[in-house]
Amino acid sequence: MAAQGNTKSQQKFFEIIKPGSNYEFIGNEKYWIGLSIVLVTLTIVMLPLNAYVFKSRGHMLNWGVDFRGGSEILIEFSKPVDAGEVRKTLADAGFPDADVVKYADPTGQHPYNYMVRVGAVSVVSEQQAKQIRESLAKEGEATLKHLDWSEGGDKIYLRYDRPVDTASLTNSLKAVGINTTQVQTFGRAEDNTYEVTLVGLDSEIRRALDARLGAGAVAAIPQVESVGAKAGKQLQFDGARSLLYAILLIMVYIAFRFDLRYGPGTVVALLHDAVIVIGAFAVTYKEFSLTTVAAVLTIIGYSMNDTVVVFDRIRENAARLRDRRFDRVVNQSINETLSRTIWTSATVFFVTLAMNVFGVGVIRDFAFAMNVGVIVGTYSSIFIASPILIWLNEKFAATQRRQQSGRNQRRGGGRRDELEPEEP
Amino acid sequence: MERSWWWKAALYGLVTVIAVLYLIPTVVPEDKQPAFIQKHFQKRIQLGLDLQGGLHLVYEVNVDKAVAGKVDRLASDIEDRLHKDKGVNDLGVNREGRDDIILTFKPPSDETKLDDTILKDYRKALDIVSRDATTGVVVLRLDPDQVEEVRDYALRQGIETIRGRVDKFGVAEPTIIKKGTDIIVELPGLKPADFERIKSIIGRTAQLEFKIVDDGTDYMKRVAGSVPKGQGIDVVPESWTEKDSGKPHEDVYLRSKSRDTLQKFFAGLTGDLALPPDHEIGYEEIQGRNENGEATPDRYWRTYFLHKRAALTGEYLSNADQTWDQQTGRPEVSFEFDRQGAAISERMTGDNIGRKMAILLDDKINSAPVIEGRIGARGRITLGGFGDPFALQQEAKDLVAVLRSGALPAPLRKTFETQVGPTMGRDAVQKAKFSMYIGAAAVVLFMLIYYRLSGIIAVVAMILNMLYMVAILAGFEASLTLPGIAGLVLTIGMAVDANIIIYERIREELRLGKSVRTAVDAGFARAFWTVFDAHVTNFVAGVVLYSYGSGPIRGFAVTLLVGIVTNLFTSYWLSHWMFDGVVGRRGAARATLSI
Repeated sequence: MAAQGNTKSQQKFFEIIKPGSNYEFIGNEKYWIGLSIVLVTLTIVMLPLNAYVFKSRGHMLNWGVDFRGGSEILIEFSKPVDAGEVRKTLADAGFPDADVVKYADPTGQHPYNYMVRVGAVSVVSEQQAKQIRESLAKEGEATLKHLDWSEGGDKIYLRYDRPVDTASLTNSLKAVGINTTQVQTFGRAEDNTYEVTLVGLDSEIRRALDARLGAGAVAAIPQVESVGAKAGKQLQFDGARSLLYAILLIMVYIAFRFDLRYGPGTVVALLHDAVIVIGAFAVTYKEFSLTTVAAVLTIIGYSMNDTVVVFDRIRENAARLRDRRFDRVVNQSINETLSRTIWTSATVFFVTLAMNVFGVGVIRDFAFAMNVGVIVGTYSSIFIASPILIWLNEKFAATQRRQQSGRNQRRGGGRRDELEPEEP
Repeated sequence: MERSWWWKAALYGLVTVIAVLYLIPTVVPEDKQPAFIQKHFQKRIQLGLDLQGGLHLVYEVNVDKAVAGKVDRLASDIEDRLHKDKGVNDLGVNREGRDDIILTFKPPSDETKLDDTILKDYRKALDIVSRDATTGVVVLRLDPDQVEEVRDYALRQGIETIRGRVDKFGVAEPTIIKKGTDIIVELPGLKPADFERIKSIIGRTAQLEFKIVDDGTDYMKRVAGSVPKGQGIDVVPESWTEKDSGKPHEDVYLRSKSRDTLQKFFAGLTGDLALPPDHEIGYEEIQGRNENGEATPDRYWRTYFLHKRAALTGEYLSNADQTWDQQTGRPEVSFEFDRQGAAISERMTGDNIGRKMAILLDDKINSAPVIEGRIGARGRITLGGFGDPFALQQEAKDLVAVLRSGALPAPLRKTFETQVGPTMGRDAVQKAKFSMYIGAAAVVLFMLIYYRLSGIIAVVAMILNMLYMVAILAGFEASLTLPGIAGLVLTIGMAVDANIIIYERIREELRLGKSVRTAVDAGFARAFWTVFDAHVTNFVAGVVLYSYGSGPIRGFAVTLLVGIVTNLFTSYWLSHWMFDGVVGRRGAARATLSI
C-alpha cells in the first residue's frame, strides 16, 4: 500500500494560494490590530451619532419593528399616490410619526406598494390613554377607579366605583377620538368593569386613507406586523443575552478542546466580529431586526469555524516544532492553512452574496450581515485571535520561567514555544 | 475492494433510500404518489407562516386580573359565611391592591366573630396580615403560593380556551404555545379575509348569562308614560299567557331604531324613574313586523327590564352544538348544562314559570324566551342576526366554538401581531429558490474547477446532504420559513467547507510525497478534529439561536442544526467512503489523484 511512499509525487494541483507561501501576518500585527480598533471605534462612535446627531436617523440602529415596537403595514394602493400625502393623512389620523417608504415589489405586479411604519401598536396612544384618564374620570355619577391599558393591547378596561352606561362610555370615548367596536361589562356585575374593544390599527389606517384618497384607494393590506414596546424591549434584551450565551458557550468548548490560552483569543475575535457587523448596520442604517440577530449568531458560530482551523494547525505545529519561536510557528500555521481559510470562506461568501443580490426582504438583510460577517470572521481569526494567543502564551511562559528561575538559575531561550502538546 | 466498503455501501444506500422515501410526500404531488408512500409516509415539510401566509399573534394574559378575581370571590365567600353562620350584618368588605381583603366590622367587637371555625377553611388560601380589635379592621392577604397557582391556572386555561376556539375554526396547523406569561398563536394558511374574524373570536370574552325578565312591574309602566314624543322611541305593549295555567302576563317595552337612543334615554332618568340598583336594562335586536305580522326589513332594538343578578352563567355549560330550528329551519345553537348548572337551571326556571328568561352573550340579549316549564340540562339560543342563512350558520358555528371553549379566565391583551398575505410568501420563495440555484451553481463550479474529480465527490456529498437534510425536516414535519430557506442556502455554502479542509490536507500530504492511499487516509484522519470542532461551534451557536428565537428564527435554527449534523455525516464519512471507492479500485497502483 505504501509502495510509492518514497517516490516524490509529481502531482500538480490547481492552486491559487501556492503552498510554501510565507506571508508575514504576525510581524505586522500592529497595523491590523490598529485597523480593527479603528473599525470598532467607528462602530461605537456611529451609534450615538445616529441617535443624536443625524436628524434623519434618530436611533442608534435602524431597529426593526420587532425591536422598536410599533406597527409595520404594507399597503397596496390601487393607483399612484404621493408618499407625502400618505404621511399627511396619517398624521391627521393621529399617527404623527408615520414613516412611509415606497416598497419595491420584486415581481413588478404591484407598482404602488408602500411600507408604512407607525410607532403605535394599538389605536390608543399613551397620550390618549392619559386623555381618557382625565376626561372619563367622571362618567355620570361614577368615578373612574382604574384604567387598564397597555401599548400593545387591542382592548382597554375601565373600572368605575358604580355602574355606568356602556353607550355613554362609547360616546365619551368617541369624543376623545377613540373608535370602538364594542363596549361591554366585564367580569361580575359588582366589579363595574367595562371592556372596550378597539378598532384595529390597520382598519383605522385604511379608513383614513380611503377617506382622503377616495374609496378603494387601498387595494389591499398584505402584511401587518405589530409589536408592543414592552415585547420589543424584551426581544432586545433576549437578543443581547443570547449573543453573550453563544460566546460564553463557545469559549467553554474551546477551553475544553484546546486549553485555556486559546479561549480569550477566540472570544475577542467573536466580539470583534459581532461589533463590526453591528457597525455595518449602523453605518448603512439598514434595518436591524430579529433576523439580523440570527445572522450575528450564525456569524459567531461560523467565525469560529475559521479560528478553529487555524488554531488546530497551530496546536499541531507547536507540538511538532518545539524548537521554533512560538510566533513563527503561528505565522507558519496561518500560511499553511491560508488556502483552506480563504476557500472555505469564499464558498460561503458566494452563496450569501447570491442571496444578497437576488433575495428579498429578510433574506437580503440576513445575507448582507453574513457577507460582512464572513469577511470579518476570516480576518479576525488571523489578525485578532492569533496575536492574542501569542501574547497570552508569552505571559504564560513568563510566569513559568519566573517559577522555574526560583529553583533553577538557567533562563529559557527567549521567545520560545512553551506550549505543551495536547492530544485531542 | 475491502469487504467493509461494501457494508458501508449497503448502509449508505439504505439511508439514501429512506431519505428519498421521506422526501416524496413533500416533493411529488399527491395524486402521483405511489400508494405505499401515501400509506406509510405522510409527513411532509410545512410551509411556515411567512411563506404560506397567515396570522401570528402573541397575547399577554392579564394574570393580575385573575388573581384579583380570586380574591374577590374569597371575600364574598367570607362575607356570606359571616352573615349566615355568625349573624354579622354590618361588614365592610373591600379589596386593596391585588391581594388584600379589608374587612371592617361594625361594631368593632364583632371582629372576634371571625374565628377559627371560619378561618380554618381559608388557612391555605389566605394569610392574616393584621387584626385590630379596637377598630374592627382585619386585613387578609392571598397566600403567595395561591397567587402562583391562580396565575398558572389562568395561563393554562387561557391556552386551552384559545385552542378550543381555534380548533373549532378549522385551521390546518395551529400552534398555540406558552412563553412566560404570553400565549403565542400561529395560524399558517389562514386567508386574509378571515383575519379579523378569528382575531375577534380569540379575543372574545364570551360571557354567557341568563337573567330573568321582571315583567309587569309598575316601573316600566311609569317609564313608558314618561317617554317623550318625537325622539324615535316607541312604547310597545306585549302580552302572553302561560301555557299550562293560562295565566296572562302583560308588559310594556320600549323600541327604537338605535340602541344609543334607548340607552341615552335610560341614562337620563332621575329621581323616581331612575333604574333600581338591582335591576338593569337589556337590549335585543329584533325585526320589524307590519300589521299582518309579516317581517319587514326594519331592525329595532327593544328593551327588557332584567334582574341584575345573573341566575346562571356560561361557567356551567358542558356542551354546545349548532342545530336547526325545527319550525323556521334557521340555524341555532343548543347547549347543555353540567349537573350543577342543570340543578340551578331547574330551580330558577321552576320559580319563574311564565316569565321570560333573557339569554345574554357579551351584554347583548340573544333571545328571551318564555319559560314554559322547568328547564333542566338543555337550552337553545336563537340567533339575533338577520343575514343570509349561510352567514347565520357561520355565526352559529362561531358561537358554538366560543361557548364550548368557555369564557376567558383573564383578559387577553394582544402584544404582537403579524399578518402575512399568501402572495408575499410566493414571491419570496421564488426569489429564494433562484438565489439558491445561483449560489449552488457557483459552489459547484468552484469545486469542479479547483479540485477536479475530487470536486465531484464533494458535489455529490453536498447534494446528498441537501437530500438528507430536507428528508429529516420532512420527518420532523418542520415548517419551512423564509429564514429557514436562508439556512438551507447557507448550508450549501458551508457543506463544502469540510471537504475543502480535508482536500487541502490531502494535498499537503501528497506534497510531502506520500502515496495516494496514505495521503487520503492521513488527510481524513488529521482533518477529523478540525472538522468536528468547526461543526460543534456552529452547532452551539445554533442551539442558542433556537432557544432565543421564536417563529421564523426558530425555523432557521432548526435547518441550521439539522444541516450541521447531516453535513458532518456526508462531508466526512460519506466522502471518505467515496474516496475509498475511487482510490481503492486501482489499489496501491494508483499514482496520482485528481484533487
